[in-house]
This record gives sequence, C-alpha cells and structure tokens, in this order.
Amino acid sequence: MTILDRNASAEEIRNVVEAWLDAHWDAEKRCAKGAGRYDEKSWLTQVFEAGFCVPSWPIEYYGLGLSQKQSAIIEKAFSRRNAEGSARDRFHLGAITIFKVGSEPLKRTMLPIMLTGPICCLLYSEPNAGSDLAGVRTKAVPDGDDFIITGQKIWTSNAQEAEYGMLLTRTDWDVPKHRGITFFLFPMKQDGVEVKPINQITGESEFNEVFITGARVSATNIIGSLNQGWTSFQTAIAYERLIMGQGVTERRGKSKPDSEPQLIRLARRQGKYDDPVIRQKIAQALAHRELNGLNMERAKQEIMTNGSSSLMSLGKLAMSRIQHGEAAIATDLLGQEALLDGDDSADAANVNFDAAKAYMNSIGGGTDQIQKNIIAERVLNLPKEPDMDRNVAFRDIKSSSL
Amino acid sequence: MSQISDEDRQALRDGFARYLEAEADEKKLRSAIANDRGYDEAIWQQMAEMGLLGIAIAEDSGGVGGGAIDVALVMEEIGKKLLPVPFLSTCVVAADMISRFGSEAIQQDLLPKIAAGELVISTGGSGDFVPLSDHDLSLSAKSSAADWTLNGQVSFVSHAGNADYHLLGLQEDGVDSAYLVKASDAVSKDRLITNDPAQRLFKLHLSDARAIKLEVLDADGIGQVRMRAIAALAAEQAGAMRAIFEITMDYLRTRYQFGRPIGSFQAIKHMAAELLVEVESATSAALAAAKALDANSPDAAKFVSLAAFTCKDAFRTVSAQAIQMHGGIAYTQEHIAHLYWRRARAGLPLFGSSDAHREQYLKSREAA
Repeated sequence: MTILDRNASAEEIRNVVEAWLDAHWDAEKRCAKGAGRYDEKSWLTQVFEAGFCVPSWPIEYYGLGLSQKQSAIIEKAFSRRNAEGSARDRFHLGAITIFKVGSEPLKRTMLPIMLTGPICCLLYSEPNAGSDLAGVRTKAVPDGDDFIITGQKIWTSNAQEAEYGMLLTRTDWDVPKHRGITFFLFPMKQDGVEVKPINQITGESEFNEVFITGARVSATNIIGSLNQGWTSFQTAIAYERLIMGQGVTERRGKSKPDSEPQLIRLARRQGKYDDPVIRQKIAQALAHRELNGLNMERAKQEIMTNGSSSLMSLGKLAMSRIQHGEAAIATDLLGQEALLDGDDSADAANVNFDAAKAYMNSIGGGTDQIQKNIIAERVLNLPKEPDMDRNVAFRDIKSSSL
Repeated sequence: MSQISDEDRQALRDGFARYLEAEADEKKLRSAIANDRGYDEAIWQQMAEMGLLGIAIAEDSGGVGGGAIDVALVMEEIGKKLLPVPFLSTCVVAADMISRFGSEAIQQDLLPKIAAGELVISTGGSGDFVPLSDHDLSLSAKSSAADWTLNGQVSFVSHAGNADYHLLGLQEDGVDSAYLVKASDAVSKDRLITNDPAQRLFKLHLSDARAIKLEVLDADGIGQVRMRAIAALAAEQAGAMRAIFEITMDYLRTRYQFGRPIGSFQAIKHMAAELLVEVESATSAALAAAKALDANSPDAAKFVSLAAFTCKDAFRTVSAQAIQMHGGIAYTQEHIAHLYWRRARAGLPLFGSSDAHREQYLKSREAA
C-alpha cells in the first residue's frame, strides 16, 4: 500500500511511484507484470487501487490528496514508462465533472467504474444545436425511476469505445431554453443507441453521429439536478477548455525550434523561394505563428503570477488565421500540382488535407465568429447583443428545421 | 544587460505612468505640438528628474544603466500618451552612439547632460543608425588635422528645432561614419511641413560647420544601435496602439444608436476581437525583441525584425480601424484618433519599411 501525503517531498513521491511501477509495470511489453498482454481494465484497476489515477483528489474519493505539483511527478513517472492511467484528474472529463458536481451516490457508484474504463464521450452538439448549444432538442421523458431518451447527437469522438456519454437533454419545453435542460451520465452500451461514423471533409472519421431511440438512463445518473443541467454543463465545458488549453501549451514544448519551416522548404522544392511576393507572404505566415507562440508564453507567465490570463482566449482565433493562411500559401506554391492527391503526390495530398483540416480549428469547439463574440464580451466587456430567445418558452423559439 | 532590478523597473514604470496620467493630458499635447519646440519642456524635465532620460546611459556616465527592456517600458508609456518628446533621437540613438563610439572626453561631457535633460540631439543623414535617411543628401565632410567641417544640405533631420547637437550619419560605399555638429550660425534650419503635426522634421544647411567625428564605427556596434532603436520604436507603437484601442473600446460601450450601445453589434465586436489579437501580438513582439537584446540572444535580430513590421503594421491597422469604429466624430481634428493614426503613419518608414523587415525576418528563419 502506498503511503503518500501532502508533506511528502518530490524525492519521496518519485521513489514510491518508481518502486510501484517497477513492481507492477512491464515497460518492455507495455503491460502489467506477468500479464503477457495489455488489458486496459485490469491495468487501470491496479492504478486506481494505488490512488495514482487521481492523485490530487482526496483519499475518500480514490485519490491521495496531493497537490498539482506533486501529482505532476507521478504523471511524469508514468509517461516515462508509457504506462496509462495516471492524471485522470486532469484529463478524464466525465470523471472530473462527476467529482465536481455529481451527487454523493453518483460519485460512489460511478467514479470507480469510470476511472477504470475508457474515457466518456460527449453527447452535446446536435444537427440543430451547434454554436447555440442551449438549443438541444434531444428528449428525456421520465418513466418510473428512469428517463427515456430520444434524439440525435453529432460530432461525438470516441463514441464507439465509450461506455458512458455525458448527455445534454431537454426536459422542460415550456420554459426559456437554459432552464429546461438536464445533464445525464448516459450508458452507451444498450439497445436504442446507434453510432455512425461521419466521413469528414478531410477523409478522416474521428467523429460520429449518435442516434438515440427510446434508450434508458436512471434518474440517479442526473449530473447536478433536473432542469439545472446548463449549470453543471458549464463545469464540464470549462474543464474541456482548460484541457484543450493545456494541450496547446504542452505540445508547444515538443516542436523542434531550429528546423526550417515547412513553407520555406516547400517553396524551395517548387523553385519559387526567390519570388519576392511569395517571400513576403511566407514571412507573414511564419510571423503569425511565432506571434501566437509569444502570446501563449505571455499567457503562461500571467497564469503563473495571476492565476488566469485573457490572452488564452486569443489562441484559438489566431490559430484559424495561421492554419487557413498557411494552407492557402502552400496551395498557391503548388499551382496545378495541387489538383492531384494520393500517395503519388505527397505534397499535394498534404496541402489539400491541411486546407480542409483548418476548418477543424475555425469551426470546431465554437466557430471563430462565436469566439470573437466571447472575446468581445468577456475580455473587452462590450455589451451583449439582445437575445431573441430570452424569456421565450423553448417550444416557441424559431428554429431552422421545424 | 540591464542594471536595474525587477522591482525598481516596476516602480520606475508605475511612477512614470502615474505622472503622465496626472500631467500629460490631451490639452497639453495639443498645445505642445502647436508651439515651435514641439514638446512640453516641463514633462521633459520631469523625465530627467525621474532618471528616464539616462535610462540607457551607464551609471558612471550619469545614467541608470538600464537595458533594452527598460527603454521599452519608457517608450510604451511615451506611446500611450503620444508624447512628442525627442527621446528616441536623444536618449536612445544618440546616447547609444556616443556611449559606443565617442571619445572618453565626449562621453564625460555629453552623456551626463543628456541624462540631466540639458541636451537635445537630433538625428539625420544616412546610415543604419539613422531613423530617417535622406536619400538626396548633398553632405560632405573634410578634415584638416583633427578638425572636421561639414558642408551641404541634409533633409529629414528629426528634432533639429531646439537641438544642441545634430548627430549626422554619412554612409559611403556601405561604410558608416557619424558626426556631431554643434548648433551654431554655421547650421541653418528649415522646418518641414509634416503630415503628423507632432513630428518635427528639418532640412539643415551646413556651411563649414565644425564637427566631431565619432571614431571606429564597427558594423556590429552600429547594428546594435539600430536594433535597440528599432525595439524602442516597436515598444512605443505597442503602447500607442493599446491606448487608442482602449479609447475606442470605451466609446463602444457608451455610444448608443438604435437604442443600444454600438459595441453590442457583432459587426463591431468582431472588429474589436481581431484588433485585440493585433494589440497583444504587437506587445508580445516588442517585449520579445527587448528581452532577446538584453540576453544577447542569437535570435535577437530575428525578434527585432519581427517586432519592427508587426508593430508598424498593427499600429497602422488599429489606429485606422479606431477612426472607422468611432464613425463621424473621428473624422475631425477635435477628436484624438487622428493624432494616433498620423503617428502610426509617421512611423512606417522609420529604420526601413515593414516589407524590408519582413524580408529580414524570413532570412533569419532559413536553415543556417
């Protein structure tokens, strides 16, 4: 049994974790010692029982009560050996949300299951509720101790593997839109749940449509309380943005700083690097990327000294200009070669992929236009636009399809 | 490297900002630019009092031994208030040139006076350290023994009006030389009419004007002077654009049309959000350039060119959009927006165009 607490030094924590991993993890075969092959559930159960899944949570909630800094030591030790399961208190959105806003029985029954299983999928967006997420129309109708769910969700990652989804539903149609929403922890593996991969513009299929027809979820699986789902959802979305932000800053550290930028190399290959017009465009594109990096470094500094930084909200918007801009320059560099695609035309295939993939940033997670509204209202304190649908019962709000 | 501690730096900046907030209002700015001198002497003397005029001068020459970062913080505050003071030419370019290339005697004579606010130095001519090169200058230097005399004409000389010395560059076949010419009867001045009423440009006529030649101008040293001046200019522009941006945001919250603040319209909000990216990127670029210079980073030249075109272009965009977002009221001379816009335009050719700096930046991103 591991004995660690807030008074443990970095050295002590490192020693305990390393010793535990030595005893339990076979780094060579990448599975539990003696298991022969990797079994996610049984490995995660071992990590969970040792408290390493969620080290920053209190002991009564399956953690070790450590600080973020102490937890990072554990995370590092795991990642050095390519062992899964640590830092779920930073990345398991479903578990984090239940831990923060779930009822006591929900925490007791679901946290052990969720922490030792695949991550949850997010059943938020619908064909008619994208930027306007509070306009969800997936129905949840009470039936004894359960609710019966009917509706369609879209843009769901990991829907095939997920055992649970965090589901936004409409439970009251006679009140304004934010007040009739209920948030559920929804079991995915049941009849009435059909997952269909989406063929995305890039040719990838990371996302799915989820069709729900008369599927069931227990009333005890409500996250927060009935019709107050929008409030609990705010917690989930805030953690999602935090995780995405951390991803941005952590990935940055891993790029090679001294290598020549792709655009320069492509221009050289195409024999166009001496063209002064092209040079100006490439320079400006590289500058936009470098400036965004400098802004994010300032954001990190501000977060360390003040706990928050409004600069963080600019990164996503800046990234749209960067990605669409770089793809446009690269397309022009290729000229008619960009008409081709496939393995025999690697440059063209990459450029065409990047040009399409840029929309992932400028639409996904809120369009640039929504992001600009957010920056204007929350960072610059510009007044909100009058809402057409404020104080209108949800069933009376105009929508595009009905 | 800066000799100033982090706390002292913060205190210096806060003190200057507080002073300007109280003393440097729009009325003073307008009366300063309407008079011949072009700036408020009381503010200039207060800057001397606070140690700011000697910010880039070594302690043993009467300064406070600050680095590029300290100069940047002063310039940001100057930019916010559009102070039309001869700081860049006197305290950045001339002070740096004299510190690097002046004889011991000249250093001990002039540097303490710059720090004390007793000396204004204009800059002009040709060469990499000169903010505005005169491409048609007809200036010639001749020497007899140790004495140099200059003859001819030079235009685009900044702040020559009440300057005590003119620092004139003469670049021939890529070789820089620099002369300090004392204001005297041998130098006559015509003030040029400028688009930015706060800018002071002159054409000088020199006839047998005696000059001190600064010796041993090595290219590296000149390059350092140039980079430090560019970083200073970028910081001034970053400060100025932030100020006009904030003035504009205030207006968007308080100006009502159609029964609602105009800042509630998405067309306006989206412009504002885009401009915030420009303002923050410019601030980051100016800061990165100053830090790289103080750290003697091998990336210093890269960050300086990045800051140069980023801040010039962003200041132009932000100040131009500020007029647009204000609407009719900013299509007047009474409103302050046009003064920021004119300052932005006046900054475009200083130390070379944005396009030239973009080209430099690209070169620094190529594989070695």
